[in-house]
Amino acid sequence: MLDSMFATTHSVALVGVQARRVSVEAHVGGGEKGRLNLVGLPDKAVREAKDRVMAAMAVSGFRFPARSVTVNLAPADLPKSGSAYDLPIAMALLAAAGEIPVAACRVLALGELALDGSIRPARGGLAAAVTAAGMDMPCLLPPGCASETLIVPSSDTRVVNSLPEAIAAAQGKTVTRPPDPPPAPRADIPDMADVRGQLLARRALEVAAAGGHHLLMTGPPGVGKTMLARCLPGILPPLDEHSALEVAQVWSAAGRPRSCLSLPPIRAPHHSASRAAVLGGGSGIPTPGELSMAHRGVLFLDELGEFPPHLLDGLRQPLEEGTVTIARKGATVAFPAAAQLVAAANPCPCGYRDDRRKPCGCTERMVERYQRRLSGPLMDRFDIRIKVPRVEADAMVGPPGEGSREVAGRVGAARKLQDGRGMRNRDLGRRHLDRLRMEPGARGLAEEALRSGVLTGRGFDRVRRLSRTIADLAGEETVQEPHLAEALALRGA
Amino acid sequence: MRAKERVREAWVRLAHVGMHPLRLREVADKAGGSPAAVLAAIARGQVQVPETARRAAQVPASRRLRELEEAGLELLLEDDPSFPQELREIPESPLFLFRRGAAPRPGFKAVAVVGTRTCTSYGKRLAEQYGEAISRSGWSVVSGLARGIDAAAHRGSLRGPTPGMAVLGSGVDVWYPRANAPLGEKLLERGGTVWSESPPGTPPLGWRFPPRNRIISALSRVVVIVEAAVTGGALITARTALAQGREVCATPGDVTRDSSVGCNHLIRDGALPVHDPDDLVETLRLLLGEPAASGGEAEAEQLVELDDFLAGLDPDPVTALAELGRMQARGEATVEDGMVRRRGRLVDFPVQDTNMAV
Repeated sequence: MLDSMFATTHSVALVGVQARRVSVEAHVGGGEKGRLNLVGLPDKAVREAKDRVMAAMAVSGFRFPARSVTVNLAPADLPKSGSAYDLPIAMALLAAAGEIPVAACRVLALGELALDGSIRPARGGLAAAVTAAGMDMPCLLPPGCASETLIVPSSDTRVVNSLPEAIAAAQGKTVTRPPDPPPAPRADIPDMADVRGQLLARRALEVAAAGGHHLLMTGPPGVGKTMLARCLPGILPPLDEHSALEVAQVWSAAGRPRSCLSLPPIRAPHHSASRAAVLGGGSGIPTPGELSMAHRGVLFLDELGEFPPHLLDGLRQPLEEGTVTIARKGATVAFPAAAQLVAAANPCPCGYRDDRRKPCGCTERMVERYQRRLSGPLMDRFDIRIKVPRVEADAMVGPPGEGSREVAGRVGAARKLQDGRGMRNRDLGRRHLDRLRMEPGARGLAEEALRSGVLTGRGFDRVRRLSRTIADLAGEETVQEPHLAEALALRGA
Repeated sequence: MRAKERVREAWVRLAHVGMHPLRLREVADKAGGSPAAVLAAIARGQVQVPETARRAAQVPASRRLRELEEAGLELLLEDDPSFPQELREIPESPLFLFRRGAAPRPGFKAVAVVGTRTCTSYGKRLAEQYGEAISRSGWSVVSGLARGIDAAAHRGSLRGPTPGMAVLGSGVDVWYPRANAPLGEKLLERGGTVWSESPPGTPPLGWRFPPRNRIISALSRVVVIVEAAVTGGALITARTALAQGREVCATPGDVTRDSSVGCNHLIRDGALPVHDPDDLVETLRLLLGEPAASGGEAEAEQLVELDDFLAGLDPDPVTALAELGRMQARGEATVEDGMVRRRGRLVDFPVQDTNMAV
């Protein structure tokens, strides 16, 4: 008479970027021969685990139980998706069938099984490591998503390449630690020293970095707007441990491990990207979009005028609140979205309206229609709006400008001052701005600009926010007249 | 006396038909120069015109004159004493002209500044500077109030004291493009004149523009082409200018740039090259004699490239930016089209030779 046997192993399900613990329970006993029942709200990919698990077990030299098998993914009300449950299912099943010791199941595992028993990378390795550390359990991860877990201080991550390796690793027989990630490729971030001329844009970038202000650059194609934007992560302060983990979790949830954890991310979705690709979503369980992957970093929108208006409108609220909420039938999730927005736009559809070398072929009506698309609620979020003109030949061969390292030094110091006040300058509301410490000279200049109609109420708020950042860059506690004057120039139209 | 009056009335009616000027000239010549005969031919259908034009021809002259008076417009016939003398001398001279705004002062000397509608910011800046320099020297700026170079030239001329002139392809009361309406109104306000061969209310149809170019060049002693492609109205104006014995100046440009090819061809074919406003005034001085006026304290304005402007203010970009901000606060400077427009006291900024740009 055969006993019915039972074993449990662990895994995780991602809800947004948060990991929810999932118990994988396997029961073997009675019933028909060789049947596998999978319950607990699995999606199609999870359901297909049956066939992969059976093949991988056979190839790895294990016998599939000659009795009926039931696998339950608990909690049963949490929808599970993807192929990452293959490995925990196989291990629970083997333990329940008595092929391996039940003690070997006391792990948290993640990984898709190939038919030959090897293990493929899966999404959410970092979330798994965080959960496993919380449960004080070893975490079995396939190569490819293991290195990202090094950021979790107390994790016991073991890299496994195949089903037999996983069983050995779970019992502590052979433990392979995740390799150090390849050295951070900083080279793809251009240095500010490579930006020639563009005095206004250089300074605008520095002020934007220091205060976290959203930045809009307008100018003809090919003048270096994209290059300027790509310089920004290089002058932003490196992410602290807490932020780096936040960012890494988002990237892990999107199935894209980060290589350089402390470098603020920059994402540049194309204007043809879908709403789900930018804001997050997708069918079933939502995955983070480009906006969330730019969390604590830079979201760069090139050719802003080409983005569909509904997408730009959709960006406004998340940027303001720092999170994007996505409701789906399965689950409502919130992804972090505290990104700094940098946008580049052409002055007209053909792009050459401001150009001194190439004529613009757009009619006035085309230009008007194009510029109307660039208005609306999102535009108010850009504290800095500058024109980026073409740089002349003599500036191109001139001496290089200041490098990113020097600029980053000033930016870092300015950020510290803001941290001391407990608020980024970008987020200063009218309530804070009315209490802004301003020298009489600065106040006088602002009043003059308001009187002459150059400045509106809303523009005044933007100028005050910028002046606070400029004063921070100068290390001054009080906003002085030159700070406010510079803010007026950077504010743009 | 009575006969002369009748001829005049016939011309008034004929002017409102809106025929192509060169065709009208041909038809009129065939009819022995009698407007009444042309009107009769139109009525009989021997001269084919659209139905609306045929009906327009039947409106009595008295009503037309009343309408013109109410609209504050003038119709000048070829033999009117106030008809510009310059226009009588040219081949295919206009038979009549509609005028809006002030009559040009006697003995005026005009310089046309024309170019492409799809211009670069470099061309736009030069046209503005040329327009201003010409106006400050006491010569009238003539152009077509089109987009691009034309508008820039008119805008520049408003900064000098001398009233300018615009010659339109549409009726004198129809601004085209609409965006240039404020510019046209300002030109009139400043004592300028708007001319057209088309009757009031005529829409801007493409075929009306080439014949109007011969009037632009005819009104001027010198025609300055700022930017021109190989095809287009600016080169038509250059051609008519040569046919009328006017001097042609052109601004050289990048040989690889489409919008400069026309100008470079003109220079190769003998047009006088001019490269900055001072050079232009010098050249005009040789051609037209001493300027009637100089300086003039109208609105002093200046258009400078952003980086040049900042570099001119202070070697330290942060200090320069603050100064730009102060000027903006006082309304002395605005940043537009990647350039700084500065009002008030002016500083000399070099006009860079932008053809060297890589």
